[in-house]
Amino acid sequence: MGADTKALRARIRSVDSTLHLTKAMGLVASSKIRRATEAMLHSRDYAGALERLAEVLSSCPECQRSPYMRDEHKDGEKLRLIVVAGDRGLAGGYNANVFRLMTTLPAAESVIAIGKRACERYGGDPVSSEKFSASDAYELAQRLCREFAEGAYDRLGIVSTRYRSMLSQEAFYRELLPLKQGSQKNASVLFEPDELTVLNAAVPEYISGLIAASVRESFASEVAARRAAMDSAGKNAEAMIEDLRLHYNRARQGAITQEITEIVAGSDS
Amino acid sequence: MNTYHLLISTPDGNVYDGEAVSLSVRGVEGDLAVLAGHIPFVTSIQPCICRVVTADGSERLGRAEGGLLTVSADRVTLLASSFRWES
Repeated sequence: MGADTKALRARIRSVDSTLHLTKAMGLVASSKIRRATEAMLHSRDYAGALERLAEVLSSCPECQRSPYMRDEHKDGEKLRLIVVAGDRGLAGGYNANVFRLMTTLPAAESVIAIGKRACERYGGDPVSSEKFSASDAYELAQRLCREFAEGAYDRLGIVSTRYRSMLSQEAFYRELLPLKQGSQKNASVLFEPDELTVLNAAVPEYISGLIAASVRESFASEVAARRAAMDSAGKNAEAMIEDLRLHYNRARQGAITQEITEIVAGSDS
Repeated sequence: MNTYHLLISTPDGNVYDGEAVSLSVRGVEGDLAVLAGHIPFVTSIQPCICRVVTADGSERLGRAEGGLLTVSADRVTLLASSFRWES
């Protein structure tokens, strides 16, 4: 009996320290949620405005000559992917959902990973998804657009996580390049110096805005997923401790009863 | 003075969202200023110091690291990859 209570006490202590850990991680995630969702909404505004502009530009017949537009005759298969995942684990299915979606996509010519977990899996220097700045996105977009125009690859896609609500996030894939032809008719707008030049200047900004927005949205999803995961892990740990306490008390009581029985039996004889 | 709605947006948020009298920037073909009633217009801008005259007549200067300027009938939007107020 003595050994049993000792083992139970050790287990309770270990589950208790796990509970402390999940509580701390949950609190850290909660404190980051507000800032992360604000950053996400800001970058979403910016990307939305760029998207509307890209839609207008890609509708212009002159812009069909741009290297960024889809060429019907040369639809290559060399795919380059940007993958956005978290910096840490313990966020429920957040990272796993992104990696699972990756396996359903066609094989990529090269993968650009953002977020330490993605970097560990797909190689490359560790890039933090939390600290990824707008200027990092701009540099990356400049390089990607230049290489796309030179023909180093044919398609550019991004795998990231869409933030639906605090409780629901989903991994999704979106194709960034080449641009699809828009269907807006906006004849009364003046472009300086001309549509094609403005489009070619706008594409790196557009891609950079979309990358930054995706990274912000993924980070907001990560902290929300972590908080939910830590919340349920904390609840499970509490239930487990309660169960173990019951066993421990029962074992302790059993040991005392047995000792009394032995003493009584000893004094009787 | 006639005013229009000016929005200066960056990936880190909107830095200006309100009424303005004029906005001066450096476009690809030279300096330009936008006043109320400008025709719908789109251009890309070079890194420059932007001058905004707000509705109360005060002047604000800010550095933009390139971007796109869109003028539509009711609003002017400057999408800058980075923008910092200097005054």
